[in-house]
Amino acid sequence: MNAVLFDVALTAYILAAAAAIGSFAGRREQLGWVALLLTQAGFVCHTAAVILRGMELRRLPFMTMAEVISLVIWAVILVDLWVERRHRIGPLSAFVLPVVLALGLGLPTGLRSIALEPPVPTGWVVVHVTLVLVGLAALVVNFGGALMYLLQERQLKARRPGKIYYRLPPLETLDRLTVATLTVGFPFLTVGLALGVFSARAAWGSVMTFDPLALLSLLMWVIYAAILVGRVMGRWRGRRAAYFSIAGFCVMLVTLGAGVFLHGRHGS
Amino acid sequence: MFVAGMNHRTAPVELREQLALEEEKIREILADLAGRGLLEEIMILSTCNRVEVYGVAAVPGEARSLAFGRLASQRGLAWRDLEPLVYTVTGEEAALHAFRVAASLDSMVLGEPQILGQVKDAFALAQSVGTAGPVLHALMSQAFGAAKRVRSETEVGRLAVSISYAAVELARKIFEGLEGRSVLLVGAGEMSELAARHLVDQGALPVYVANRAWSRAQELARSLGGTPVPFDQMDATLALVDIVITSTAARAPIVTTAAVRAALQARRGRPLFLIDIAVPRNVDPAVNDLENAFCYDIDDLRSVVESNLKERQREAVRAQGLLEQEVVKFMARLQQLEVVPTIVSLREKLEAIRRAELDRALARLPGSGEETRRVMEALSQSIVNKVLHAPMVKLKDSSRAGHGRRWTEVISELFGLRAPGRSGPPE
Repeated sequence: MNAVLFDVALTAYILAAAAAIGSFAGRREQLGWVALLLTQAGFVCHTAAVILRGMELRRLPFMTMAEVISLVIWAVILVDLWVERRHRIGPLSAFVLPVVLALGLGLPTGLRSIALEPPVPTGWVVVHVTLVLVGLAALVVNFGGALMYLLQERQLKARRPGKIYYRLPPLETLDRLTVATLTVGFPFLTVGLALGVFSARAAWGSVMTFDPLALLSLLMWVIYAAILVGRVMGRWRGRRAAYFSIAGFCVMLVTLGAGVFLHGRHGS
Repeated sequence: MFVAGMNHRTAPVELREQLALEEEKIREILADLAGRGLLEEIMILSTCNRVEVYGVAAVPGEARSLAFGRLASQRGLAWRDLEPLVYTVTGEEAALHAFRVAASLDSMVLGEPQILGQVKDAFALAQSVGTAGPVLHALMSQAFGAAKRVRSETEVGRLAVSISYAAVELARKIFEGLEGRSVLLVGAGEMSELAARHLVDQGALPVYVANRAWSRAQELARSLGGTPVPFDQMDATLALVDIVITSTAARAPIVTTAAVRAALQARRGRPLFLIDIAVPRNVDPAVNDLENAFCYDIDDLRSVVESNLKERQREAVRAQGLLEQEVVKFMARLQQLEVVPTIVSLREKLEAIRRAELDRALARLPGSGEETRRVMEALSQSIVNKVLHAPMVKLKDSSRAGHGRRWTEVISELFGLRAPGRSGPPE
C-alpha cells in the first residue's frame, strides 16, 4: 500500500517537474501554479506513504538505502517548498525537481523489495540517518541554487540578454540561497556523518573499513567543507563556489548510488 | 458606435500638431457637434500622437466627416485633405481599437504609461460637457479595466525601453534590491545623470559624484543628495560602491582593470556593476572578464533595450488575446444595455395581449375542453413567436453592430412600449 502511494507521489513529482520546466522555459505563469499544486499534492502522498510504510513494516521507515533516498527526496521537496514560499524563488522547482526524479527513479522497485533481515536500528543510527538526511536535502537545494547562479551569471556576463535573463532571480538572491543552504546543510551533514562513524565503530568494530558509502561520504564532506572555508575566507564567492557545489552534488549522487548498488557494510 | 481618427502611423506630426487642441476648444467642439443631431454620443481624444473621435451615431460616415470637418476648420484645413489619413472602425472593431489604445498597444512606444491617463481625461471632459452617454460609458469603463488587466497580467509595460531604465533594470538583476546600494557617478551627462536619478529614486544611497571640475561635482552631488569626491580619489572610491556610472569625455579609459581588481578584492567578492555610457569608453573592456564585475557599455545597453522591445512585442500579442476576450464581454454588455430591456418589454407586452385575447376567446366557447384549450394556446403562442421573430433578430444584430439604440427606440415607438431604461449601463 505504501509503495502504491509512493508511486502516486512520484508520478505527481514527475508531472510537477514537467510543469515547472515548462513554466520556466515557456514563461507561462499558470504552469508554475500547476507545478506548485502537483508538488504539494505529491508531498502529501509521499508523507502518507512514509508513515504507512513505517506502520506496515512495524519499524522506522529509513533503514534500507531505498527508504533513505525516499526520505532525502521528501526532505528536499520540503525545503524546496519552503524556500519557494518564503523567499519567492519561483524557478527553483524547475532545477530541483528533475534532480529529485533522477534520485528517485530506481525507488519503486527498491521500496518493494523488503529487506529480509532488517538491521536493528540502535538509537544513534537513527539519529545518524536523520541528520544526514536533512543535510543532504539542504545540499540538493544548494545544487539547484548553484546551477541557477551559474546560468544567471553567464547571462549577465554575456551582456546580450537571452531567454533566461528574464526569468531568474537576481544574482545576489541566488548567491544568498546557496550560502544559506550550505550553512544549514553542512552542520547537519557533519554531525550526522560523525555519528555514523561513531555507530560504525560500535557496530562493526573498526572505523577503517572499506565501505564505499562511507568513503564517498567523506569525500563529499571534504568538498563542502572546502566551500565553506573558501567563503568564510572571502575568496570563493559566486562562480567558484557554485562550481564546487556542483562537484559536491555529483559526489553525493555517486555516494547514494554506491549505497544502493554496491554491497558494502551499509547493506540494502 | 465608431472610432475615427489618425495617429502617428497615418499622419505626419506636422498635421497632428495642428489638430491638437486645448481643453477649452475641445469642450466647445463637443458641445457644438452634439447639438447638430447627427451624433448621439461623442468623445474626442487629442494627444501628440493621435487625434481620435469616439462616437455613437446612426450613420458613422457622416458623423465622422462632420466631426473632422469641424476640427479641421479650427485650423483652416479642409476635411478632404484629412480624409485619406483618417481610419474608421465600427462596432466590434471599434471596441477592440479603443481597448488597444487604452492599453497602450497602439502607442508609438509600446506599453507607455501616459496614454491611459490621457484617455481618462478625454472621457471625463466628454462627461462634463454631457456628450458621453451610456454606450461610451460602458466602452470606456471596460477599456480602463482591460488596460489594467494588460498592465498586471502581461509584461507589456514592464521592461525598460530607455537606456537609463535598462541600466536600473540590470542593477536589479545583479543586486537583490536597490535600497542601500551605493553609487559612484563619474563625469556628467543627461543619460548618466538620469540613470543615477532613477537609482536614487529607488533607494540607492550613498551617492558619490566625481568630476574633473570640482564645482560641477559639488553641483551634481547636491542635486542628487550625495557627496562630491575628488577626481584623483576615484579609484579608492570604487571599493566603496556597488554601482559605477561613467560618462566623461576622456579619450582613454579612466577605470582600469587593475583598479577594479583591487576594488573587488577589497569588496571580498561582492559584485560590482559598471555602467559605461561614454564613447570612447571610460572603462577598460577587459574589466568585464573579472569575476564578479559586470560592465555594460552603451552598445550593450542598447541591445538590452532592443531585446526588451522585442519582449514587449511578444507580450503585446498575448495582450491582444486578452483584449479580444474583453471585447467579447463588452459586446455582450452592450447588448444588455441597449437591447435586452426592450426585448423583454416586447415579449411581455405581446404575452399580455395573447393571454387577454385567449381568455376572451375561450370565454366565448363554453364547454370547451382541455383539447381546445391546448390547441388555442399553441396557436396563439405560435403566432406571437413568428411575429416577434424578425424584430428580435433585428434588435440583436443591430446591437452587435453597435447601433442597437436606434432600433430599440423605433421598436418601442412602433409597439407602444414603455421607453427602455435610459438611466445608464448596468454597473
